[in-house]
Amino acid sequence: MSTRRLLWGIGAAGVVIGVLVAVLIAISDTIDDHAANIMAALLIGWSFLGVGLYAWGTRPSNRIGPLMVGVGFAWMLGMLQCSDLALPFTIGLVMSPSAFAIVLHLLLAYPTGRLGSRAARAVVALGYVDVVVGSLVYAMLARNPDGIENTPRNLLLVDDAPGAADAALTVLSVVGIVAIVSGALLLVARWRAASTPRRRSLAPLLWTGALLLAFAAIMLAADLAGSEDLEDGFSIFSVFLLTAAPYAYLAGLMSSGWARGRTMGDLVSGLNAAEARSGVRDAMAEALGDPTLDVAFKRHDRDEWVDAHGRRFEPPPDREVTEIARDGQVIGALVHRGGLSGDPELLRAVADTAALALENERLQAELRARVAELQESRANLISFGLAERRRLERDLHDGAQQRLVALSLQVNLARAKLDDDPATAATLLDTAKEELSQALDELRELARGIHPAILTDQGLGPAVSALAERSPVPVEIEPLPEERLPPPVEAAAYFVVSEALANVAKYAQASQATVRVVRFDGHAVVEVADDGVGGADAARGTGLRGLADRVEALDGRLEIVSPIGRGTTVRADLPCASS
Amino acid sequence: MAVTVLIVDDHPSFRATARLLLEVEGYDVVGEARDGAEAIEAAGRLKPDLVLLDVNLPDIDGFEVASRLTKPANGTPSSGPAVILTSSRDSSDFGSLVGASGARGFIPKAELSGASLAALLE
Repeated sequence: MSTRRLLWGIGAAGVVIGVLVAVLIAISDTIDDHAANIMAALLIGWSFLGVGLYAWGTRPSNRIGPLMVGVGFAWMLGMLQCSDLALPFTIGLVMSPSAFAIVLHLLLAYPTGRLGSRAARAVVALGYVDVVVGSLVYAMLARNPDGIENTPRNLLLVDDAPGAADAALTVLSVVGIVAIVSGALLLVARWRAASTPRRRSLAPLLWTGALLLAFAAIMLAADLAGSEDLEDGFSIFSVFLLTAAPYAYLAGLMSSGWARGRTMGDLVSGLNAAEARSGVRDAMAEALGDPTLDVAFKRHDRDEWVDAHGRRFEPPPDREVTEIARDGQVIGALVHRGGLSGDPELLRAVADTAALALENERLQAELRARVAELQESRANLISFGLAERRRLERDLHDGAQQRLVALSLQVNLARAKLDDDPATAATLLDTAKEELSQALDELRELARGIHPAILTDQGLGPAVSALAERSPVPVEIEPLPEERLPPPVEAAAYFVVSEALANVAKYAQASQATVRVVRFDGHAVVEVADDGVGGADAARGTGLRGLADRVEALDGRLEIVSPIGRGTTVRADLPCASS
Repeated sequence: MAVTVLIVDDHPSFRATARLLLEVEGYDVVGEARDGAEAIEAAGRLKPDLVLLDVNLPDIDGFEVASRLTKPANGTPSSGPAVILTSSRDSSDFGSLVGASGARGFIPKAELSGASLAALLE
C-alpha cells in the first residue's frame, strides 16, 4: 500500500472516530456541557490528526507525523470518558492519559523523530509505562473514577477499592510529574547546545511544548491535591492551548524546513560570492552560524589533512569533525563546535551543497601543499649542499692538506740534512712517504663521499657491496635488480644505503643489517633494516634530514620505522619513471 | 745569539716538524702553544723574539692573537715579540687581515724555512 493511500485511510478513520466520539458525547447523560466537550474532542483531536498527516506526507521517513496522528487518536479516544455507555467509557478511562505520554515522546523526538539520547529514551519509556500500567491498575480498582458519582459501569473493575485506587492515582501522578520534569530538563539542555539556525526551528515548539507540559503537570498536581476545579473538564484556556499545540508543531516543522532552506540559500549565495571573499569556509561558517568553523582538506597524494593554505592540519581534540565525501571519496571535513552535530541533516545538507566548491578548494590546497613542500625541499637541498661544501672544505683542510704541509716541511728538512746527516734525512723521507700514503687514502675517501666512482662505473650492486664490505657491522644484501636505474635514482639509493649503514655502525648497536632493493611498479624501494636498539629520529641530525630532501627532490618518500628495542628500518620509495 | 721562537699551532705534527726545521736552521725554539690563550700566556712568560702563529686556532683566531701580542695594553709596541702568521691556506685567502693584525708577515706552512723567516724579520 502506498503511503498516500495509507494516509487517506488513516484520515478517514480519524474522521469516523471523531464523529462517533462526538455522537457518543452528545447523547451522554453523565455530563452537562456537551458542546464544549465535543469541541474539545474534535478541535484538538482533528488538529493533531490533520497536522500529523500533513507532516507524515511531506516527510514520510520522519516519525513526527505518525506520533502526532497518535496523539490525535489517543485524545479522541480519551474523550470517550464523557460517554455514559460502559464500553466507550472504559476505553476513554484507559486512553485519557496516553495522549500526554505521546506528546512527551513527540517533544523529545522533535524534529528528527528519533530519540537522540539514552536519557530521552528512558524518559519516554517511563511516560508510556506510567500511562499504560497506571491507568489500567486505576481502572481495575476505581468504580467511580475521579470521585464522580453515577459514572457508567467500568468494565475493567476487578474490586472496588477507593483507597487502593487513590494510591494508584498518586503513584501515576508522581511518576508522570517526574517524567515531565525530566523531559523539560532535557529540552533545556538541547536548547542550550543548539546552533543558531536550529534554535530558529526549535523555538515555537519549545514554547508550546513547555506550556503543554506545564499544563499536564498542573493537572497531575491538582489531582494529587484533590482540587475539584478540573472535575468539570477543561477550561477554555486548556482547550485553546491544546488546539494550538499541533499548529505550533506545524510551524516548527515548516520553520525547520524554512531554516534549512534559508541556510542553503545563504550558502549558495555565499559560495557564488566566495571568489571575492576568503573562500568556501566563510560561506559555510556563515550558513551554519558557527564562526569558529574550520574546513580541512584531504590530500589524495598522501594520507594527510591540510588547511586551505596547504599547511598540515590536526583538528583540536575539543572539536567535532564531519567528513565530506564526493563520489564516495573523502575530500574534506568540517571541524565545528559540538552543538552542530545535533542536527546531522543540516550539516549533511550544507556539506553536500558545498562539496563541489570544496573539491576545487581541495585541489588548490593540495597544490599549495605540494608547492610548499617543493620550496622547502629545494631550500633544504641548497642549505644541505652548502653544508656539504663546508664539510668538504674542512675535511680537506684538516686532513689531506695538513698532511701535505707536513710532507712539504719534512722534504725541506731532509733536503737541509742531506749533506751533514744523511741517516736522519732518510728517516725523514720515510716519514714523508707514510704521510703521503695517508694523504692519498684520505683524498680517496673524500672523493667517494662526493660521488663514488664504483657507482658510476659498475652500478648499484657493486657499489652497495663495497659499502657492505667497509661496514663494521655484518651486512646481508638481498639480490639486487640487475638493470641500471636512472643515475639520480641510483645515486639517491646509494646514499640512502650509505647513510643508513653509517648510522647502523654509529648508533644502532646491531649485530647485523640487511639491504634490500626492489623494483616495483615504476618505483625503486630501498630498505636498510637492522636488529639494533631502535629509537632513531629523522628530525634529529642532519644526515637523515638531508637524505629525506634528496629523496623528496626525486618525488620519493623516506620513511624511518624505529620502535625502541626493535631495530630500525630506513625505507626510501623512489619513482623511476624515466627508466 | 740565536733568535728565540714560540710555535703556536693546534696540530702537534706541524709543531714537531717546524721545531726540527727551525732548530736545524739555527733558531732557538723556547716553547710551543696549542691555542690562542696558551700563546698569549707563553709569550708573556717566555718573552720570545718571534712568535710563529697559525691563523686557524681552536679558540681565538690568529689575527686576534697577533693583535694582542703586538699591541700590549701599556702602549709600548717595542716590548712585544715579532709575530709571523702561518697557515696551510694561501695569504690571498685572508685579504687585508694579515696587514691589519700587527704581524710582520705571512708564510704559507709548506714554504716555512729559516730563510723565509729571516726575510720577514729583516
